[in-house]
Amino acid sequence: MIPPEFDYAAPATVAEALELLAEHGDEAKVLSGGQSLLPVLRMRLNAPGIIVDISRIEELKGVTEVGDAIRIGAGATYQDVLDSALVQEHLALLHTALKEVADEQIRHRGTVCGALAHADPAGDVGAPVLALEGRMVIQGPDGERTVDGADFFVDLFETAVGEGELLTAVEIPKHTGWGARYEKFVRVSHQWAIIGIAAAVRTEGGTIAEARVGLTNMGSTPLRARAVEEALVGQEATEEAVAQACAQVAEGTDPPSDLNGQADYRKHVAGVLTRRAVLAAAGA
Amino acid sequence: MTAVDDRPQAASTHEVGRDRRRKEDQRLITGRTKWTDNHVLPGMLHLAMVRSPLAHARITGIDTTAARQAPGVIAVLTGEDVKDLQGSLPCAWPITEDQKAPPHPAIAVDRVAFSGEVVAVVAARSSAAARDAAELVDVDYEDLPAALDLRASAKDDILAHPDLGTNRSATWVFDSAEAGTGSSVEDAIAAADVVVEREFRQQRLIPAFMEPRSTVVDPTGEQFVMWSATQVPHILRLMLAMTLGVDEGKIRVIAPDVGGGFGGKLQVTPEEIITFLVARHTGKPCKWTETRSESLLSAHHGRDQWQKLTLAAQADGTVTGLKVELLADMGAYLGLVTPGVPILGAFMYNSIYKFPAYHFSCTNVFTNKTWTDAYRGAGRPEATFAIERIMDELALELGRDPMEVREQNWITHEEFPFTTVCGLEYDSGNYEAATERAKELFGYDELRAEQQRRRESGDRVQLGLGISTFTEMCGLAPSRVLGSLNYGAGGWEHASVRMLPTGKVEVITGSSAHGQGHETAWSQIVADQLGVPFEDVEVLHGDTQISHKGLDTYGSRSLVVGGQAVINAAKKVIEKARPLAAYQLEANPDDLEFRDGKFTVKGAGADQEGVGLAGLALAVFAAHDLPEGMEPSLDADATFDPVNFSFPHGTHLCAMEVDTETGATTMRSYVCVDDIGNVVNPLIVEGQVHGGLVQGIAQALWEEAVYDDQGTLVSGSFVDYTLPTTADTINFVTDRTTSPATSNDLGVKGVGEAGCIASTPAVVNAVLDAIRQFGVKDIVMPCTPERVWRAIQDGTAGAMSETAGAAAGHFAEGEPNQDPPGAGAAPAAGTTQEGGQA
Amino acid sequence: MAMELHHTFTVDAPPEATWALLTDLEQVGGCFPGATVTSATEEEFTGNVKVKLGPIGVTYQGEGRFVERDDEAHRAVIEGIGKGLRGLGNASARVVLQLEPEGSGTQADVVTSLTITGKPAQFGRGVMQTVSDKLLGQFVECIEGKLTS
Repeated sequence: MIPPEFDYAAPATVAEALELLAEHGDEAKVLSGGQSLLPVLRMRLNAPGIIVDISRIEELKGVTEVGDAIRIGAGATYQDVLDSALVQEHLALLHTALKEVADEQIRHRGTVCGALAHADPAGDVGAPVLALEGRMVIQGPDGERTVDGADFFVDLFETAVGEGELLTAVEIPKHTGWGARYEKFVRVSHQWAIIGIAAAVRTEGGTIAEARVGLTNMGSTPLRARAVEEALVGQEATEEAVAQACAQVAEGTDPPSDLNGQADYRKHVAGVLTRRAVLAAAGA
Repeated sequence: MTAVDDRPQAASTHEVGRDRRRKEDQRLITGRTKWTDNHVLPGMLHLAMVRSPLAHARITGIDTTAARQAPGVIAVLTGEDVKDLQGSLPCAWPITEDQKAPPHPAIAVDRVAFSGEVVAVVAARSSAAARDAAELVDVDYEDLPAALDLRASAKDDILAHPDLGTNRSATWVFDSAEAGTGSSVEDAIAAADVVVEREFRQQRLIPAFMEPRSTVVDPTGEQFVMWSATQVPHILRLMLAMTLGVDEGKIRVIAPDVGGGFGGKLQVTPEEIITFLVARHTGKPCKWTETRSESLLSAHHGRDQWQKLTLAAQADGTVTGLKVELLADMGAYLGLVTPGVPILGAFMYNSIYKFPAYHFSCTNVFTNKTWTDAYRGAGRPEATFAIERIMDELALELGRDPMEVREQNWITHEEFPFTTVCGLEYDSGNYEAATERAKELFGYDELRAEQQRRRESGDRVQLGLGISTFTEMCGLAPSRVLGSLNYGAGGWEHASVRMLPTGKVEVITGSSAHGQGHETAWSQIVADQLGVPFEDVEVLHGDTQISHKGLDTYGSRSLVVGGQAVINAAKKVIEKARPLAAYQLEANPDDLEFRDGKFTVKGAGADQEGVGLAGLALAVFAAHDLPEGMEPSLDADATFDPVNFSFPHGTHLCAMEVDTETGATTMRSYVCVDDIGNVVNPLIVEGQVHGGLVQGIAQALWEEAVYDDQGTLVSGSFVDYTLPTTADTINFVTDRTTSPATSNDLGVKGVGEAGCIASTPAVVNAVLDAIRQFGVKDIVMPCTPERVWRAIQDGTAGAMSETAGAAAGHFAEGEPNQDPPGAGAAPAAGTTQEGGQA
Repeated sequence: MAMELHHTFTVDAPPEATWALLTDLEQVGGCFPGATVTSATEEEFTGNVKVKLGPIGVTYQGEGRFVERDDEAHRAVIEGIGKGLRGLGNASARVVLQLEPEGSGTQADVVTSLTITGKPAQFGRGVMQTVSDKLLGQFVECIEGKLTS
């Protein structure tokens, strides 16, 4: 499979990248790990005039501690993030979810920010980032702005990153000591989630003190199940109590219907997996 | 003598049966390969196909101007350009005298009949240029209604080929009463205590070989040379000659390294014809290599049948008759053996059982979808699935253990050779032994106990056990039988053994391997026959100028037919060497014996030196001192035509866990004990069994080619055509029992398809066994979590009734074995009565 | 792949006024997301539609026309057929409009369907189905917007 012809630029700095984006407008596509863009190009479902490859920009690389948050640069691959001791210690939910992303080869190429910018509702990154209240750092011609998850994910494959802008990092508040579980439901390994449930729970002596629940592929964007989170607070981490709190998780969601499952089935499974994810996260 | 002495003594005459590492693997695994796409020739052009996005449409105009003007483009050809040259793609198996079929053009001329059909081809200096230009070919279509549903198409609701007047290509019937091989099924049904009638759906599958298809044609020499990723270089050469009207002698076909086929490369493809035509047109070497999407879309598909079975039995469980009625989806055209695929199953529905009456009918139907053809097992997996599913259903009706009912009906080992209700003679087998060993390895009784415990405790995870006791007919095929089935060729195989002056041996086989390990297995066989080292045997195949004669590799035929040809040729070599050995030893030829690679004089003691085959080969090469009148050659050819099929069998047991909350299924254990006769290389056998199992399991759980309402293949990439990987499978427990075949010297039966044929029903039976307690009677393949979950909901009458409407998407009218809405979990006996009255 | 969307809304204007707007092909054609109408007459229009969605960017070129127009009964059927650039396959849309008086205003029934063949339909995971849903939704919203504003 051969993509249509395109120009290619590999800027060394964010400033250069932004210049290129400004110059080429909607003819430009940003390439990071390429794990979503390249298949589309090779299937010839897009033909951008220029590819702006940001993978060589040093300032975008790395995972760092920024106050109470962990900052993941746009150049950090899934594997970089998985290998990060900071992430392992403070963002257990993200860590456990990233282990479920595709396969080893893809995790060494694809980037966390690339996945966020791609905004595939079936991707495994959006739900944990949304649940952990990550903030997206966007740079553009007018400088830098920070957007939280609720405003970032606009629609299917659509985010708050505008034309000429670049997602440069995500900053996720530390959730040190929280239990976590990502329940990914697939038919065969290495696939996109039919649905996924990202749950992080802080318990105090067997009682759930705080909970975060994110949903993968239950709508056109990743979703956060705030009602479930609230219902869980103060509950004993028992099967019955958690099941009750999670029962309504699919309410108000609009999951897709496809070869892997109709919407009503996804809604049903979401209830089951949320219960399981929360219980596992609570160590029950 | 050093080469021989280096080897362990014990091995010198016993290569057959050793788990030799495959001699070809180091090269293949380290990438020193010669796939077709690796071939680069001077001045070579690259081809890109323009394919129809529509399932059925009239071509009202093709504008190639922009494509012709694109950079690097040398030629653009449409159907109009080649309509008088391209002939019609061959179908070698017209199953009836009155079979109807449309012409099968390589490039569609004025109408396309499936989405993915080629409408034009671009030849350019690079593959990128060809691909770019292909997108500039502007085709105008006028939509025609598309025949997509198999059942509706059988009723001619919409015609896939309006000029044909019907979608029904042919109906093929076998009736044991008419054939004199058994009694009347209708009588058996009328007299039966129990009648079980079921319908099963064989979903459409896609052979997903590792190496995509590729073809290179070089027209610059005296012969046209075609390299192709094909299973059938010999058949391809013949068919190119017949289709294109080119002298057979002017065509050389080479199948270099070929990365798997699974039946998918048992074909004469439009792209092979097109590459040939473009090479001839341009006078330059041309290459076409498909993308994976192209492969899924346009390479032939497999299976796709509706199967209706009626089983008649006595109250004690003895089966008295079986009636099978099939609808088989041909897709849009007939390929090389398309119509014969379901017919290959006709002789296998009675399987290992002693049914006294049998009736089989199959109607082949055209639709506007990619055409179907051979896919690993071809006809036999479908048959095995249906019979093993319905034997479970019979056990259920009778309230008996499914294994017990099978045992009651199968051919016992004392009864071999056994002539079946189809008239086939099963030469050997021992179903009791394979079953006993399988049950032992499986822990059948312990698992049944665990199943009971889980049921009683209402565990969220329920356990089910599935059985498949199968047999298959392998070693395709006795030419006489093929003749009686109207097949266009024979079933023999050819081999040559050449003694080189250095004592090395070249073996030429007409069985063209594409990953099976012929190089290794043939070396083992010849090493034993001639007493030469394994390493000294070079196996050549896949080039019609080297292996000039053969019928290639499919239908688990290579070892059983081709292996025997190799043995026959090796025996001829020994007989040709005997007079020379006698001459050198000054003995009577009849007094010589040949062992371990040398001739000795009988009764002359163990310390005599004798003469070795290597020395004789050198003497023949020099030809200085040969017996009077001896031809200076030890080389020999042999062509072997089998007199019977071989009949591998086995017992496969599968335990599936079903998460009743989500419908997700997990394989707990899988045991198979196969009887494939004697074994040449147990390691290769393991590989075949494991791969086959996964392929069969994939039909049960994962794979399906799905078309949308426009006739677009929506499972057109591995995102949606969920091909499993090693990460989705478990460690299989495999073992063997051995009843040697009587039809060949090695006593082998063939193993290429066994796992794929046997495993599908074992898995589905296991899934159903786990959830029948909820009133579930059947699940359509693949058993996706959603389908399993819905089955559980529907089966639990009333408990989750609100899901019924939503379930309609998957269990709509027309799906098999679905009760009318509101019927709920009807008692099993209801089905019996229904069947009995039908 | 074929998608269909039924939508009913009311407009604060009598059917006659609404009808004039609804049968202006330039207005109707231009309502399709990503569409540019390049020429339009009373009876037909030509244009192109750029569907941009995350990584996907495909362009269709096509034309539309009335296949049915009853100015008395206030019923019209408009069909548009687009050919995908770069061998993508085709897309066709059919819009059935029916106006009925409701009080002093008008009730509009719009049934739109969209059929996509070829590569986009094969994209996987039924994504194009979701996309078609969205496109139809935006189209109807635009029509409603034009009439009600």
